[in-house]
Amino acid sequence: MISSHLQNETRRLFLQKTGYGLGAAAFSSLANADSAGAADGALPQSGLHHAAKAKRVIYIHLVGSPSHLDLFDYKPELQKRTGQLCPDEFFDTSKLAFIREQPNLLGTPKEDQFAFRKCGASGMELSNLLPHLQGVADELCLIKTLHTDQFNHAPSQMFLLTGFERFGRPSMGSWVSYGLGSENQNLPGFVVLITGQVLGAGNSAFGSGFLPTIHQGIEFRSKGDPVLYLSNPKGVSPGERKMVVDAVNDLNKEALADVGDPEIATRISQYEMAYRMQTSVPELMNIADEPQSIHEMYGTQPGKTSFANNCLLARRLVERDVRFVQLFDQGWDHHGSVFNSLPNKTRQVDKPIAALIRDLRERGLLDETLVIWSAEFGRTPMAQGAVGNGSGKTKAGRDHHKDAYSVWMAGGGCKGGHVHGATDELGYAIAHDPVHVHDFNATILHQLGIDHERLTFRYQGRQFRLTDVHGRVIKDILA
Amino acid sequence: MASESPDFGRDIRPILAENCYHCHGPDEQAREAKLRLDTFEGATTGGASGPAIVPGKPAESELIARIFSSDGDDHMPPPSSKRVLTPDQKALLSEWIEEGANYEEHWAWQKPQRPGVPSAPDPSLVRNPVDSFLLRRLEQEGLSYSSEADPAVLLRRLFLDLIGLPPNPEDIQAFEGTWANSEEREKAYDETINRLLSSPRFGERWGRPWLDLARYADSNGFQADQLRPSWSYRDWVIRALNSNMPFDQFTIEQIAGDLLPGATLDQRVATGFHRTVTCNVEAGVSPEGNRVDQVIDRVNTTATVWLGVTLECAQCHDHKYDPFTMEDYYSFFDFFNHTPLEVQLPSNKTDVSHDFIGPYLDLPFTAEQQQQAKDHDDQIALLQQDRDDALESEEEAYLSWERQHSESAAQPLDWEILQVTKFSSTGGEHHDILEDGSVLLSGKVPNTTAYTVETRTTLPRISQLKLEALSNPMLPGNGPGRGDAQQPNFVLKEFTATLRDHESEIPIKLHRPQANFSQKNWDVAGLIDGRPSTGWAINPQFGKSHWATFELVNPIEQTSGTTLVFTLPQNWGKGRVIGNLRLSARSQVSRGSKLPADLIAILKNPADKRSEAQQKKLRAHFEKENPTIKKIDAEIARLKKQRNTIKANQTLVMVEMEKRRTTHILNRGEFLSPGERVRARTPAILTLSRKPNDETRPPDRLALAQWLVDRDNPLTARVAINRWWAELFGNGIVATLEDFGTQSPAPSHPDLLDWLAVEFMESGWDMKHLLRVMVSSQAYRQSSRITPELLEKDPRNLLLGRAPRFRLNAERIRDNALAISGLLSPKMFGKPVMPYQPPGLWRQTGRNEPKWLEEKDEDRWRRGIYIVYRRAAPYPSMVNFDAPDRAACSVARARTNTPNQALTLLNDPAFVEMALALADRILQESSSPENRVQHGFRLAVSRLPDSRESRIIDHLLHERLDHFTAHPKEAENLLSNPHFVYQPQTQNHLELAAWFYVASALLNLDETITKN
Repeated sequence: MISSHLQNETRRLFLQKTGYGLGAAAFSSLANADSAGAADGALPQSGLHHAAKAKRVIYIHLVGSPSHLDLFDYKPELQKRTGQLCPDEFFDTSKLAFIREQPNLLGTPKEDQFAFRKCGASGMELSNLLPHLQGVADELCLIKTLHTDQFNHAPSQMFLLTGFERFGRPSMGSWVSYGLGSENQNLPGFVVLITGQVLGAGNSAFGSGFLPTIHQGIEFRSKGDPVLYLSNPKGVSPGERKMVVDAVNDLNKEALADVGDPEIATRISQYEMAYRMQTSVPELMNIADEPQSIHEMYGTQPGKTSFANNCLLARRLVERDVRFVQLFDQGWDHHGSVFNSLPNKTRQVDKPIAALIRDLRERGLLDETLVIWSAEFGRTPMAQGAVGNGSGKTKAGRDHHKDAYSVWMAGGGCKGGHVHGATDELGYAIAHDPVHVHDFNATILHQLGIDHERLTFRYQGRQFRLTDVHGRVIKDILA
Repeated sequence: MASESPDFGRDIRPILAENCYHCHGPDEQAREAKLRLDTFEGATTGGASGPAIVPGKPAESELIARIFSSDGDDHMPPPSSKRVLTPDQKALLSEWIEEGANYEEHWAWQKPQRPGVPSAPDPSLVRNPVDSFLLRRLEQEGLSYSSEADPAVLLRRLFLDLIGLPPNPEDIQAFEGTWANSEEREKAYDETINRLLSSPRFGERWGRPWLDLARYADSNGFQADQLRPSWSYRDWVIRALNSNMPFDQFTIEQIAGDLLPGATLDQRVATGFHRTVTCNVEAGVSPEGNRVDQVIDRVNTTATVWLGVTLECAQCHDHKYDPFTMEDYYSFFDFFNHTPLEVQLPSNKTDVSHDFIGPYLDLPFTAEQQQQAKDHDDQIALLQQDRDDALESEEEAYLSWERQHSESAAQPLDWEILQVTKFSSTGGEHHDILEDGSVLLSGKVPNTTAYTVETRTTLPRISQLKLEALSNPMLPGNGPGRGDAQQPNFVLKEFTATLRDHESEIPIKLHRPQANFSQKNWDVAGLIDGRPSTGWAINPQFGKSHWATFELVNPIEQTSGTTLVFTLPQNWGKGRVIGNLRLSARSQVSRGSKLPADLIAILKNPADKRSEAQQKKLRAHFEKENPTIKKIDAEIARLKKQRNTIKANQTLVMVEMEKRRTTHILNRGEFLSPGERVRARTPAILTLSRKPNDETRPPDRLALAQWLVDRDNPLTARVAINRWWAELFGNGIVATLEDFGTQSPAPSHPDLLDWLAVEFMESGWDMKHLLRVMVSSQAYRQSSRITPELLEKDPRNLLLGRAPRFRLNAERIRDNALAISGLLSPKMFGKPVMPYQPPGLWRQTGRNEPKWLEEKDEDRWRRGIYIVYRRAAPYPSMVNFDAPDRAACSVARARTNTPNQALTLLNDPAFVEMALALADRILQESSSPENRVQHGFRLAVSRLPDSRESRIIDHLLHERLDHFTAHPKEAENLLSNPHFVYQPQTQNHLELAAWFYVASALLNLDETITKN
């Protein structure tokens, strides 16, 4: 017989140490009203510290960092001065990754393909390179003044996604999973979808750092097993797998009765969940059951690896209450030939992202799902390589720029059709309303009902949080 | 406990530190209202609002007024800090002030003294002082030890703890056999400990936690994440642990082995400890910034590993809680600030990543390499012998070759100009014979003409003739034709030569015509084809000299001189005639003779006048041409090339620069904002009587290392034994293994901690001795059963009223399963291995991208510690069991319990193959079917199954046997898994397939992956 206390203890350890359940921080709030989790008493209805506007996040990270100046931050003055030597201070005071000689300015080409258009009721200016996104401009909350501290890919990715430029800290998705847990007992709380190569920060971009690994981003892959080791070995059917799981669990129950370790009870439920995942994950990944109209809207092809497929998967994941879905798409680091490469990339992502926003809206999920377009930094208004006409034009690219860049959010309680902040006439520095990466992250947590200063984890003698000792919520962009 | 008076270290400091020190602590910059509460003086002197604490008088203490205040502005901690004191905490503070507000120096800053060993309530349970301390504490809670564990459980525990592998069934039976007799039992227990501590497997098991601390990996980290050689440092750790190197030496060699006088190779390899730091080679990274980041990591890691303090908090500001200032931090930094840059800007500017330049050390050849080198050398020697033999048998051939070539060489090879004795032409031109032996035409430019040239030569042998049409400034357009300056072409229709012998003219048969150039459709061959319509011309190569040569079908040999007559008909018109021509002959056709000029020069010497060097040269050439020798030489060359590819392995090491850098405080921790200059010293609070800087030399890493293991250092020994304690007992005596600072929870058994620390130092820093003390205690020998009473009174088992029970870590789960299945390779050391992993996991960008090449031999079954550790993508099945990415120092691993772990053990092809091997092992080792279930169970968890457990297994087995008997093809299908490299011996595939299921279940048991 297991005593009732043991059962309680079992439940406590289960909640605390295992996942896809209630978040550890949430649990400690419930258990201990005076802990770091919820100082002011009872847990709000949804959200850890206050009512949540968003229940989940779809975070799209464009790896390498797209040229925001040619997509979101229209600069006629820069166009006018294309080919002129950049002001001295741009070169003298900037940290530039690749540019070694004082560069020329590089404006967006004047061809119609690259032109900006006022869109929607808000009149938000978006590039013609994003025609589908133009159609949902009124859903976007565009932040033109994000800035970061790092200007190399890997450190900058980590700085944005973990709040710290070196390895070892938990990623945002892990913090959210730790804070809020997952509402789906059969799927992880934090799922990662990748197109192209893995980014420079590697698994640290979605790692759990010092948080329990249950909170790490689990990559769902389009090739091979969607989750590592999900499929049974050759010749083992689901029914036969069940026999092994049953035998293991029966034996584990014997052990539980003998030694009374609540950890064994947890192990038993993890085997049951693993078995359920063998059905639920392939079911989730099988987009062939979507209607043709959906495939047309997203541009998806079942069985292929594509960004469009990942967008559709993201919708299916949030539909199943997965808390944090992160998409990484490689190939945006356009040091050269930006005006050839950028249209190729926008063609891959524009339609599916717009479709995702529409689809979420039509299903009534957009209000409670925060969709984010982001990158580790921006690009310089100065050219890297030749600027000119003809072949010269095609060679020019843009270098890394940490001092100002554009990202956007949609849904999840953000103002739609809203533009926050502005850069100077050349798009080099912030003119007003800067948003630091820590502010951006604080705002995302805020929308999820988390106070970024109170979501902490004690490690190596101090309380850590996603925003270090910084960050303030950008109230101006909240609906 | 509640009745005791509050203890500053245990009860009060944690409250003040957590809630007050942030603004009223050691950090001067952040201090509010000039009040500090971390010292008695500060609290009683007070700040802007007067004394915060009046000892003995809580009612007069501002601190008490503030924490109980209901006024939002006055209330402490301020609401904006989001820190809230509980009523209990407030009461504790009040009570503490009432009792005099006694501040104590934090225990961890004071060096440990060996405490007296308390008398235990039940001496029969005391095997050594460890038990005395633990039992005393348990007694306070009304608890005692649990009963002793069963021998099989205990033996498995010892094996897993000390060598990381399970015992064999024979070991278990022998051990169980001693249990009835207490004397034998104790002897067996002690002998087992000794045997395990001296096993080579010991270093592999205990190396793993050390390598977590050392953040040892086989790759750089960051973008590209290339592999780099550090594995000989990993091997050094395993060897050092196996040889029980004293921990002080272990420390000194890793921190400063390179600085020891006459540092050995091993001592330099040991410094790899601090070369395992991540390194960013991404373009745009400042090499200096990268270096500073690396030094910061070295400082923080050193502080964590040896001192158990969070020195890193003082990187950007004074420590908020502990007495470490920024100056302390950068003074510590100075010890590490004198190694060279490790990256530089790329040599090729278009590269997207930097070049590595950090110091490497060449290692001596491994035994395998030595063998390989010897094999090659031996083979080369054998071939050399073959070659000598071949030369001997080819001596005749050489002599004849030499003779033949000497003769040819004696014949002049150079062209000899034929002396024109008579020239006539039919076109009426004027001609001159020039000094260079050529004939220059001038005067009338005829449409058609034919030249007849009579020549004389004393050349004894004529085998080839040459006709030259020369360019000459006297000719229009410099010739060689005479027509006009635009088109000074010529068209020669035929070229005939006759030998005048007395009065008769004998035609000379010519062949093999060659020319430096022939006009299209006017090939030089046309000159000797007898057809008047063909011929040789040179448009558009005007203004240059041209030549044509012809070989004599039958060379002429006349020693008395020869007269040759040539006819050159030219009838194209327009003056397309040769303006300047010359004829030559030679005795030797150069075609086919490959001998280089220097050899011919030698051969021209008579044989007896050739120097030794010259003879050698000739022989060398002969050997080069001789097919037999050539073949042998090619083989020798191939082997030598291979031999040269056997390169010494390398490893990354620390090297101190001749010229030291100056070290500054880095404002905000940024390397571009240097502040005040600082010099190497240890943190002020930890200043020992013996300082690291003796006056004779600058304080360097060696001085630091010696300071770390100074007998007076209060931290190093405590921190080390606390980690080992946690490895064995599940929790540290100080729960925060990485932090012994003021923020750390009070030790559960402070006296035990100090007793062990002193014992450790006094034993000569003997790690194995300390482990022996721990596992010899009765505490270690308890059962791990959890009773409701224990669960209620001590749910986390901090007091050790039972033995710990927890999941094995990632490497041990793999090693244990490999050992159970019989697959485990005992191979030690060397380059990292790549067992099975799912495809597509290594996909980074950048230069030198490493590839995953799955091992197909025993390397795929080696212990986890030898698997390649790539930071961006560590081995996935181990990640699922909480293995860190080793990007930074990691002191303790989490022990999660997830569905991904279940999927790994059930489906990872590596574990599936182990299940196959285990099934095979069970069938091979137990002859009688009744014993199989027992044997399999024993292999997996060391003990025998009870009847209920046997029934569960039997049920699965029989269901499977029935199934495969009815569906034999399914058994074949199961066993034909393409991931299987293991070849089972069992012939009965139906049984093997059924047992595969049982084996898989056994490998998945909670007990199998748990230290019980």
